[in-house]
Amino acid sequence: MKTNETDIMLKKFFSDQKQEIADNGFSRRVTHNLPEQTDRTWIVWIFAIVGMTISLLLGISSGLLQNLMANMIHIPINYLITGVFCFPLVGTACYYFFQRKQYSLI
Amino acid sequence: MSNAEDIRWVTQVALLGDKKAFDKLTCKYQSSIRRFFLNLTMGDSQLSDDLAQETFIKAYLNISTFKGISGFSTWLYRIAYNVFYDSTRARKHYDDIDNDIIDYQHQTLNEFSSEKMDIHKALKVLRKEEQTAVLLFYMEDKTHKDIARIMNCPLGTAKTYILKGKEKLSVYLKQVGYEN
Repeated sequence: MKTNETDIMLKKFFSDQKQEIADNGFSRRVTHNLPEQTDRTWIVWIFAIVGMTISLLLGISSGLLQNLMANMIHIPINYLITGVFCFPLVGTACYYFFQRKQYSLI
Repeated sequence: MSNAEDIRWVTQVALLGDKKAFDKLTCKYQSSIRRFFLNLTMGDSQLSDDLAQETFIKAYLNISTFKGISGFSTWLYRIAYNVFYDSTRARKHYDDIDNDIIDYQHQTLNEFSSEKMDIHKALKVLRKEEQTAVLLFYMEDKTHKDIARIMNCPLGTAKTYILKGKEKLSVYLKQVGYEN
């Protein structure tokens, strides 16, 4: 029998036998038996609060925030759109591009 | 569901110890991992569920070592493969007895018929490594490279296991009259 025919036969044989196994509480049992680990969610909140506070304090004390607010009105709308929307979009596109490249190397 | 989603859940588990995120990963992969064990243990559902549970717990404990070079699924199968062979080594002394019991139970549960071929009987004509490679390739749709990663062997060796397994299965299926 030719290799190609054998492949087709085996693929059919295994796909006939392939079955999806219902969860039936398996995932719940696994989660229940997971060992306890320290909840580290608070780290995110600490960093977020500290970061925001520092940014606000620096912004206010240097007058940057006041200037920014005052100048916002005079910024042409095209620049604003470019500044606010384009860079995150380009960044996201780059991220997905490089991520896809990384997984194609598997 | 994509690899990116897996990475997001893995990150949540690794950084925050988020059990809900791990539960999503378990739900997504439980069927394929349990099926993999079910076939390797020749239909012993209790043992395969125990091994699958051990696999997921090990994955949870070592999730920070997942580097994302391979997909999460491949990494999980690598753990499953190790868990199965650790278990086989540990049970080495009882293997013959267990296999006899499983064979007997299996025969009573799954009668061989022309409509439904018995996959476990077919797999028995293969060596353990060939069984694993063939199951991963034909049943779980893994690539040669992934299989080499999972079995921690050179790519050529993985290909050889699949090729030999394929030849033996082909002969066996022809003998028992399996038609395409």
